[in-house]
Amino acid sequence: MVVVGADTADRIKPAHGGPAGGWVEPPPAPIYPVALPGRDGTGHLRRGARAAPGTDGNGPGSGLNQIINPTVFFVLLVLGAAGVCLALPRRGRTPQIVGGLVAGLAAGLLMLALGLKAGREHLPNVYFYIFSLVGLAAALRVITHPRPVYAALYFILTVIASAGLFLLLSAEFMAFALIIVYAGAILITYLFVIMLATQAPEEGQEEVLAEYDTQAREPIAATMAGFLVLAALTAMAFRGLPNVPAPAVANPDAMLASVPRKVDRVLRNHGLLESGQSADLSRVAEGVVVLPGGKELPRPEWPEQLRMTNGELLGFNLLRDHPGTIEIAGVILLMAMLGAVVLSRKQVQLDEEAKSRRVTQLAEADAAGDPAVDSPLGLTQQPAHTGGGGV
Amino acid sequence: MTTLAQAGYPDAMSHLTLAHYVAVSAIMFAIGLIGFMTRRNLIIMFLCTELMFQAAGIALVAFGRYHLDFSGQTFVIFVLTVAAAEAAMALALVVLLFRRRDSLSAEEWRDLEG
Repeated sequence: MVVVGADTADRIKPAHGGPAGGWVEPPPAPIYPVALPGRDGTGHLRRGARAAPGTDGNGPGSGLNQIINPTVFFVLLVLGAAGVCLALPRRGRTPQIVGGLVAGLAAGLLMLALGLKAGREHLPNVYFYIFSLVGLAAALRVITHPRPVYAALYFILTVIASAGLFLLLSAEFMAFALIIVYAGAILITYLFVIMLATQAPEEGQEEVLAEYDTQAREPIAATMAGFLVLAALTAMAFRGLPNVPAPAVANPDAMLASVPRKVDRVLRNHGLLESGQSADLSRVAEGVVVLPGGKELPRPEWPEQLRMTNGELLGFNLLRDHPGTIEIAGVILLMAMLGAVVLSRKQVQLDEEAKSRRVTQLAEADAAGDPAVDSPLGLTQQPAHTGGGGV
Repeated sequence: MTTLAQAGYPDAMSHLTLAHYVAVSAIMFAIGLIGFMTRRNLIIMFLCTELMFQAAGIALVAFGRYHLDFSGQTFVIFVLTVAAAEAAMALALVVLLFRRRDSLSAEEWRDLEG
């Protein structure tokens, strides 16, 4: 069974014969056979491979049934919703740990149910389970931890786990970009702002968490709404997944014609090419590199390094297929930068209401005979405190 | 005849494997959504939108991997761009709001009506 997507092959237009060459349509040569069990060349499931008996091909839920048992799926979603709802912070002592465990159990059983349907040969890598478990647990902690700093730190853990998932999906460049940009830059900005906008406890006082951090707003309604969205999203996605056309297999080797200098370097390093010579890449899409002497080097004899890396393929996709969008991204970043500068230069005064609230707080602390405020040092500090409303 | 995997490229993935990644992405999105609705701290609310961006990124990369197409990863670059822009703007706004009301609670601003 050989699947080569004609449309994808058309999109790859290698520059042929070096940098000066024009665009040449590569011949739609079937190089890479891809065998997906239960599929024919057009990407539709073969008749015999239709999964469960008793489901007709076009009935509602038939696609869902091939991915996961619908009853189990919806029961697990309800279980997960109950767990998340329990885990949200509330007044007084709440069974947050129990809620987290219930939600984790539901997620684990969901993965188990998916794995049972998928069967041994379609199971994802074992690291998938580790990364997704860590990522989802950290995501749950982001929304349940009462202290904002810890929530941000747990979000970094989520980012790292998603970077691991990206690695499993062989998106190496994006995995590291995610860690550098998200965990390295964006989250550090968040941490700075959280620390700026939180008052340090006064000396000798216990740190009191703000009420708006320790109490969730409408936990039951929000969880129900969130899980309804989740049920709709996953049911729709799973129902459609078996009908998604099979991968149109591009031929990444055809792109080698765009990087003739890399090909020459690799061949030279392996002693296949003299220095100063260059290989003929006109037939590289068929898996043949023609060396200067007229000798043909077929694909199985190529050196291992003679292939497109993830970074090269991504770069060609970004700059050749989506050249305008990178300009738009630049404009978005510029606007954000200007906006942030303008916003943060604005001088604002504390509202009258907030000012009077602060004065009352300090007066109460004074009346309670707080040693820090009672001392002469505390009294001299008090006017400075009420006056400065800034961060 | 060489296959993709033998040539050192990622091989095609089954739609049953793809379903696992889609499930993780959808669950993470739902967690972010619930967090956005329940938390009352402005900073955490923005953190939850980042969580939803993250989930979208996983789905994009997974579908790109399934189709052996790099546009999915290219779009994650733009998701990162938007996330960075949003973080810069949102945090500048949050600092401004905090200076005015001395509190990060979203409910301080309930008198803002559109």
